Amino acid sequence: MSISTFMGLHTSLRGLVAQQRALDATSHNISNASTVGYSRQEAQLQATDALLDRPAGMLGTGVDVVGYARIRDSFLDLQYRAQNMQLGYGTARTDSLEQVELRLAEPGDNGIGARLNSFWSSWSDLANAPESGAARGALVSDARTLASSINALDDGFETVSAQAAQQLSLLTATGGELQGMAREFAGLNGAIRDAQHVGAQPNDLLDRRDQLLDKLSSLAQVTVTDNGAGSISVTLGGAAAPLIDGSTVNWPAPAMPNPGGKIGALMDAASPTGTIATYRSELGAFAQALTTRVNAIYSPAAGTNFFAYDPATASLSVDPAVTPATVRAGAGAPGDNSAALALSELRSEPGGLNDSYAQLVTRIGTEVADAKRTTTNANALANSIEDRRQSTAGVSLDEEMTNLIRFQRGYQAAARAMTTTDSMLDTLINRTGRVGL
Amino acid sequence: MITRGIVTDLNDIATRVSHTQQKLASGKELTRPSDDPFATGRAIGLRTELEGLSQYQRNVSDAEAWTSVTDSAIGTIADIAQSAREALLRGSTGTTSPSERAILANEIDHLIGAVKDTANARYAGRSLFAGTATATEPYGTASDAYLGDGGDVVRSIGPGVSVIVNARGSDMLGDGTDGKLLNTLRDISAHLRGGTAADIAALGGSDLASIDRSIETVLSVQAQVGSTASRLHAANSRLAEIQEGVSGLLSKTEDADMAATMIEYSMQQSVYQSALRAGAGIVQASLLDFLR
Repeated sequence: MSISTFMGLHTSLRGLVAQQRALDATSHNISNASTVGYSRQEAQLQATDALLDRPAGMLGTGVDVVGYARIRDSFLDLQYRAQNMQLGYGTARTDSLEQVELRLAEPGDNGIGARLNSFWSSWSDLANAPESGAARGALVSDARTLASSINALDDGFETVSAQAAQQLSLLTATGGELQGMAREFAGLNGAIRDAQHVGAQPNDLLDRRDQLLDKLSSLAQVTVTDNGAGSISVTLGGAAAPLIDGSTVNWPAPAMPNPGGKIGALMDAASPTGTIATYRSELGAFAQALTTRVNAIYSPAAGTNFFAYDPATASLSVDPAVTPATVRAGAGAPGDNSAALALSELRSEPGGLNDSYAQLVTRIGTEVADAKRTTTNANALANSIEDRRQSTAGVSLDEEMTNLIRFQRGYQAAARAMTTTDSMLDTLINRTGRVGL
Repeated sequence: MITRGIVTDLNDIATRVSHTQQKLASGKELTRPSDDPFATGRAIGLRTELEGLSQYQRNVSDAEAWTSVTDSAIGTIADIAQSAREALLRGSTGTTSPSERAILANEIDHLIGAVKDTANARYAGRSLFAGTATATEPYGTASDAYLGDGGDVVRSIGPGVSVIVNARGSDMLGDGTDGKLLNTLRDISAHLRGGTAADIAALGGSDLASIDRSIETVLSVQAQVGSTASRLHAANSRLAEIQEGVSGLLSKTEDADMAATMIEYSMQQSVYQSALRAGAGIVQASLLDFLR
């Protein structure tokens, strides 16, 4: 079998086209150098089928682009998503707990610790001057301030909890962020399946889907199942049913027993059995103990209670019967200060009210510090995984520039080969066989 | 990738600089509980202790004022009792005429009034010698009966430590029937006026003995008050010492070490600046710069 004279032209043409495609892929990479979630693409070149040239053997026929590969390590994606979930959880938890911490205003002169101290001092001042109207007035006003700052702190905790609930509902309610993301995801799933069905490789759609998965992973724990044919299903927070199954969205979202991520942190902050709720109940127990201890000493002497605490509304108040005119330092004569003395001693009681308040502050402080530490760690880990991911999937301009030169030169060389073939044919066609002309 | 690393590192350094800056501005090592939860718990405990100590100091000052006024009033009463004893000695000799004795009896009656006035002394509007019935004067003009109560005026001067700062009129002067000072003085006055041989004998005998006993009682009450005063004094200096220790500890727990923080701050700043410079250098360079 003889080989066509013009074969060299075709071989060069294939080279030209392939180098041009590779150049196009490179410029696509360069254009997307700062696109978030973009994975580097590479034109995959392969030698075309050779021709049998007997008896010499096989003659190469050039090159062809067989596909555009998306360079990405899916194992790193899994690791990143696990850390990103921790990061989402830690960030949201730190945010709410830091607000709780700010409201404590400790250590300082405006926290409940300081108010409690002035309350005990007022009792002591009253014990020094049981007959004095000024000391009584100061005591009643200090007691009211203490009660209102305990109530204000409880209200503050409740507000933080309510804000978390509101954020959660913005995220997960119908028409919220989660539903929007799920819909987009399902749409991408459909588009990818359709594209793969016709044999195309929808790299950029895959990038967008992976990026969406990254975002979902900061909201909650993500479990991905491959349905085949380019479609995947996503289950959030260990739910029984997937949220996104191929191109359909299960809405309302299936209940998440183990949410994790931002949703998990917000659910915990908003829950009536969550972290902030335990702070509230501990503060309530403190207010209850304050009421019980003070009343136990005060009421036998004065005949009325001093504080009243309502656990249902978590509100502490000074008994209406206690006014500057009626408050008493002791049961007996005007100079009797036995009750006031006993009450002022509550300050230094070991394991007493001041201690239990300090324990509450320490506990909140420890949990905030823990949350911050977890967030910092998750951030560092997520960053380092992201670095490794970028080193695979990211666009390095230096590398792309080198490729640019490589493919440009390849193109030039292929063109030169074509010119060479051309001038060869020129010699053959125009200069030969002209004897006698 | 390099750019992201640079940004992360710069953010880290900037966070540290701002934290140090916050420490410098507030002068506090602890600005929120999560900076160091256990130190915060300790700081709250120390603040409570400190507040308690200054309260105890206020209590001690109040008790000291109370005892010092009490002490001087008792001193006055002892002086008056001494004058009464001198009058008694003058009246108990056989050479004193009945008219002189009548004058002495009048003097004794005046002294009884003076003793009761002194015993009605007030401090900051409160009767010193009426027990806890501080609104009542312990002695009226009509009778020698004690009108106060048996209560103790107590001041707390330390955790679980309290002192009784008052002296009761009933312990010192009696109620006119119990052989204490007022009763004795009334007897002396009656005997001076009586003028019988038995009266004169009683003046030199049982009256002298009982006024000595009464003066002894007054002085022993004064000694008690004095010992309370010295106990208060000791408590005051002890409280001041403890307060110094506790506030030093609180400052160590809570306050920033300015010198160390300053040095840390300038170090972090120079680190930040060099990181910025290095970052700027790396970000600018690219293969593009060298291709023509």
